[in-house]
Amino acid sequence: MSAKDKNINIIQYLSRGVREILEKVKPDKLFDLEEIRLRANKPLIIQNYSEEWFVDSLGNLTKNIRDAFIVKREEILSTLEIMSKNSIYAFQEDIKNGFISLSGGHRVGISGKVITDSGKVVNIKEFSSLNIRISKEVRGCSFKILKYIFNENKQVLNTLIVSPPQCGKTTILRDLSRVLSDGAIDKGIKGMKVGLIDERSEIAACYKGIPQFDLGIRTDVLDACPKSEGMLLMVRSMSPQVIITDEIGNKGDKESIIAILNAGIKLIATAHGYNISELKSRQEVLSMINEKVFERYIVLSNTQGPGTMEEVIDGSNMKVLYKREYAGITRV
Amino acid sequence: MLLKIIGSIMIMSGSSFIGFAMSSCCSKRPGQLKNLQNLMQMLENEIRYLSSIISDAFEKIYKSIDNPVNLFFKSTLEYLENREELNLAQAWERAIKDNIYKTSLNKEDEEILVSFGKMLGNSDIEGQIKNIRFTIYQLSLQEQKAEELKKRNETMYRTLGILGGATAVILLI
Repeated sequence: MSAKDKNINIIQYLSRGVREILEKVKPDKLFDLEEIRLRANKPLIIQNYSEEWFVDSLGNLTKNIRDAFIVKREEILSTLEIMSKNSIYAFQEDIKNGFISLSGGHRVGISGKVITDSGKVVNIKEFSSLNIRISKEVRGCSFKILKYIFNENKQVLNTLIVSPPQCGKTTILRDLSRVLSDGAIDKGIKGMKVGLIDERSEIAACYKGIPQFDLGIRTDVLDACPKSEGMLLMVRSMSPQVIITDEIGNKGDKESIIAILNAGIKLIATAHGYNISELKSRQEVLSMINEKVFERYIVLSNTQGPGTMEEVIDGSNMKVLYKREYAGITRV
Repeated sequence: MLLKIIGSIMIMSGSSFIGFAMSSCCSKRPGQLKNLQNLMQMLENEIRYLSSIISDAFEKIYKSIDNPVNLFFKSTLEYLENREELNLAQAWERAIKDNIYKTSLNKEDEEILVSFGKMLGNSDIEGQIKNIRFTIYQLSLQEQKAEELKKRNETMYRTLGILGGATAVILLI
């Protein structure tokens, strides 16, 4: 399925009013769509990786807020009804976590009035905004980082991918999982058993337990599982050679990571951040950096589109292995 | 003479048939109300324990019994599939209105069912269960009333049929 079809596919989940507007937008304008935002009594906003737009009632993209189509509160409930197939109650567990997953791997963030019970969120009611995130599968987007995550004996190195939000780290992780698990004969990579811990159901985007993306033939997915427990569970049950997970840095992550490394399993993980020095401000990550847990750091940005590789650092001696050139001048 | 006897037998049997038919009509209603309550109970279980989505739950329900009341569930599904602009509440209301004449239910029952549909699917599990329980309660009240009506009317229609036939025969002879 091409990205274009996927965007058309997502439009069918929207309430009638919003759908009719987005159907009028020229398809090529929706091609690199990343987010559709519906907020009660606020303008309809769509966003690609670089810019956001209002949409007017004729389906033109505009920067002028006065022309913008205003989303009514009923449209939000109606959209959720369509997304949940008229069965909002069946998605209560998901709604509690703030998002629901759709078939095709798209995710819809939800906010509204939160109902709590003894400090825990039990439900969200009176929905006020939706953030529809269109997920992409970019085959081959991990090729350029591949050579940095293997050592000369073709063994996977423990790698941390550092990136700010919306720079393609989930997409790269997904593609990496596929390549490592399927193997690539032309690049001399043998297929490996990959264990994927998908705490936020973002990488595999499981819909009814089935991954919506191609993650490779030797990949096992633990969906919605807390990372620290998930990593240990994987080791016990699925004997993976590589474990892939995202957004490390919470308390307890380090212990689990050390436990899996002791079991001889390699780790590829991501962390939020703009550069290494920012990462060091986080205790849990800092102690892992100091103990040289990771053998490679790969920093991403979106300066030349999502997934731009900024720099690659050797974790054992903190030497820079690669630095992106700024207008032809290499600054090291 | 033979002709007269044959004629009166025909009148008698005809009118008693009408009487029995009318009595069976009012005796079917409590049964259908009972069936509806059972189906609602099934829906509650589907929602509560299995978190099935409405269309799966409805499909199971209408396949579970062979009774005109399952038409409501069946045609709601058909409306949802064919006319995508209808939401669940609208599809349900339409299914009730289109099929109520195939059942023995009356106007009051129809209203209960229609208002049940307004809440269907668009809230959390607790809200759904409350809605279903309330509808079951209302249906059970209707059933009691229907039961009393049945007792009174069933025998009345039957005797009326037979006696009416007899009167006609006597008058004609």
